[in-house]
Amino acid sequence: MKIKRLSALVLAGMMVFSLSACGGSGDSGTSASGEDTSVQDIVDRGVMKVGVKADVPKFSLQDTATGEYVGFEDDLAYEIAGEIFGVTADEAKEQGLVEFQAVNAKTRGPLVENGELDCVIATFTITDERKETYNFSPAYYTDAVGILVNADSGIASIEDLDGKIIGVAQSSTSQEEFNKYIEENGIDVAPSFQEFATYPELAQALAAKQIDAFSVDRAILEGYRNDSNMFLDVRYGFQDYGVCSAKEKTGLAELISTKIQTMLDNGEITALLEKHDISVE
Amino acid sequence: MADFVKIEHLSKNFGDFEALKDIDLTVKEGEKLVIIGPSGSGKSTLIRCMNYLEEPTSGTVTIEGEVLSRKNRRELAKKYSAMVFQQFNLYPHLTVLENLILAPMKLQHVSRKDAVAEAMKCLKRVGLEEKAYMYPNQLSGGQQQRVAIARALCTRQKLILFDEPTSALDPEMVQEVLNVMIELAKDNITMVVVTHEMGFARQVADRVIFLHRGQIIEEGTPEHFFTNPENDRTKEFLSKIIH
Amino acid sequence: MLKGLFDLKRWTALIEVIPENYIPGFLMTLRTALAGLLLALILGVIFGLMSTSHNKILRAISRVYVEFFQNTPLALQVVFYYSCLPILLGGTGFRMPKFILGMMGVGIYHGAYISEVIRTGIEAVPRGQSEAAQSQGFSYLQTMAWIIFPQTLKIILPPLANQALNLVKNTSALALVAGMDLMYYTDSWATSRGYFAQAYFFSALLYFIMCYPLARLARYLEIKAIRQPVAKASLRKEIEEAVS
Repeated sequence: MKIKRLSALVLAGMMVFSLSACGGSGDSGTSASGEDTSVQDIVDRGVMKVGVKADVPKFSLQDTATGEYVGFEDDLAYEIAGEIFGVTADEAKEQGLVEFQAVNAKTRGPLVENGELDCVIATFTITDERKETYNFSPAYYTDAVGILVNADSGIASIEDLDGKIIGVAQSSTSQEEFNKYIEENGIDVAPSFQEFATYPELAQALAAKQIDAFSVDRAILEGYRNDSNMFLDVRYGFQDYGVCSAKEKTGLAELISTKIQTMLDNGEITALLEKHDISVE
Repeated sequence: MADFVKIEHLSKNFGDFEALKDIDLTVKEGEKLVIIGPSGSGKSTLIRCMNYLEEPTSGTVTIEGEVLSRKNRRELAKKYSAMVFQQFNLYPHLTVLENLILAPMKLQHVSRKDAVAEAMKCLKRVGLEEKAYMYPNQLSGGQQQRVAIARALCTRQKLILFDEPTSALDPEMVQEVLNVMIELAKDNITMVVVTHEMGFARQVADRVIFLHRGQIIEEGTPEHFFTNPENDRTKEFLSKIIH
Repeated sequence: MLKGLFDLKRWTALIEVIPENYIPGFLMTLRTALAGLLLALILGVIFGLMSTSHNKILRAISRVYVEFFQNTPLALQVVFYYSCLPILLGGTGFRMPKFILGMMGVGIYHGAYISEVIRTGIEAVPRGQSEAAQSQGFSYLQTMAWIIFPQTLKIILPPLANQALNLVKNTSALALVAGMDLMYYTDSWATSRGYFAQAYFFSALLYFIMCYPLARLARYLEIKAIRQPVAKASLRKEIEEAVS
């Protein structure tokens, strides 16, 4: 019996280890001398691994036919890769210096943390809490939270949401932002919130009327607008999207931050947003 | 003696195969009837029609004036008949005693105390009193079959059907089972026995019938049957089986 | 990363959310699993009996049920109950409570498996057993209750315990539709805080607490099934009294 208990303990220990070390291939980003080598690691590897969304129109959408990723955030990835490899963004794209991987709210954090990805550019909102865990670049875009409801639901304003169910995405800040907004504006409504892992699930739940409203960032909501649903005319919860990288990869984080800041200053970000028909708030 | 079982125009088909063809047969109360015949001749089918384990294709089986049907088969089985199988078919999850008292208690609503007392008497008759608390798989084949006979006895049925009761036994165990059956035959129970044991037939039977390809082709007392059979098929069969 | 794993701050954060996240999630999962198991057993017995009946139509119905639910993913079934069933029921915004949804999801899914367990269990009992019962005058239900089922039970209890174990784990499919179960709260906290190792390790521990006793039970029943039973002392006493 003692041996059995011991083996159970060992098993549990192994589980912890495999959970924490999943991915495994993660390079620490630091050399033996303690110096940060995260940028050099990418150069040595010859390709930068970036996590992006596959289902957000204009920001990052995967072409189901070609498998290619198209959007503002994907172009941003090429700009950063160009900086690392010392080429232009177009050359980075032509030479295939960026390897994209589709991520969602649930996977993007661990993939960056365990080193599977160099960075994530995936409508990732910068928060103080997250800053404790990851490095973020300066904000490259400021979005607002939106609320999508069924056109035939009779919900016309935020006041109508009392007692209703609002579907939000896991790991999103939509719920906090909503509560902050109604508090600040003295609106007396008490909806309940349910979290879903993916946006298609949310859209499906709204279409099946299992939730009354679908609330995520407007950039994402745009992709799910159709004849049978509509936006509530309310803007709040402005939030900043940043490029996320692992906490200890300071060299990489610095390079990314500098690049984004430069692009913000010289208007390249604005141009890139316009190129993808994204309205600037 | 009154007619106890009356079989009229009984036929049974399995698909295209005619197992029984237009059988007419009566069994009187208290009679010991032995059915013999080569394998595949329909002996087992015939006896299994008597408690409706097989449903006749046509014809009727009447017991004490009641025609057996799908509807009343359980009622009639409960009232009149018990069966002893080739493979014993004891209930393996129950002790010997429990095998015996299940039907009296659940079906005849005898009190547990009375059922146990009766069961012990029946076990004594088959000489297995001391095995009452054992499970069937702890007994030899011969002992299991004796328990099965005790189980048939303890519901006090007038008719006991034996379907090749010794065919699945090792040779050294055949006699202990036959002895119990011979002992039983002294009672006024009606016994119908399908068997290949000719010695038993000769000693116990009031009447022997010989089945061939689903038909009764010879019928008579054991003396007639074993000393002076009329049909060639019967002669051939007996010559093979009696050395 | 191991660094994150041993970060005390992350573990403290975990302890803080246990009352509001993990406890309700654990209770929801437990409740759903128990109700789901009950439903699965009821469906399993009904369809298991149907699949061994002589009636062709009943057998066919049972077959369709088993094949359909065994050969489609549980996740899809749960999403179907959540999204499509209300539309089929009129689409007027009918909402099933998550508890009922979860119970239906795992209950119907595992009912199909349990039906198969029961069918094979019944078929493993030799035909002679029901013939012996019939020759004594037992009805179909009496035969099942006193002769076939007790023998079947011994055969099917270990696989049934395994089904119960899988059922507990499969309640996590409910998380797909915001089921308020353990997996849902785990995902919710893990993704919002990013403390994945802590979130999932603790969740695994809670699932383990529910499943491990079931695994032990399955093993115990397996051993018990092959052991020769011994008659109760009360039976011996009864025999002695009857003989004396």
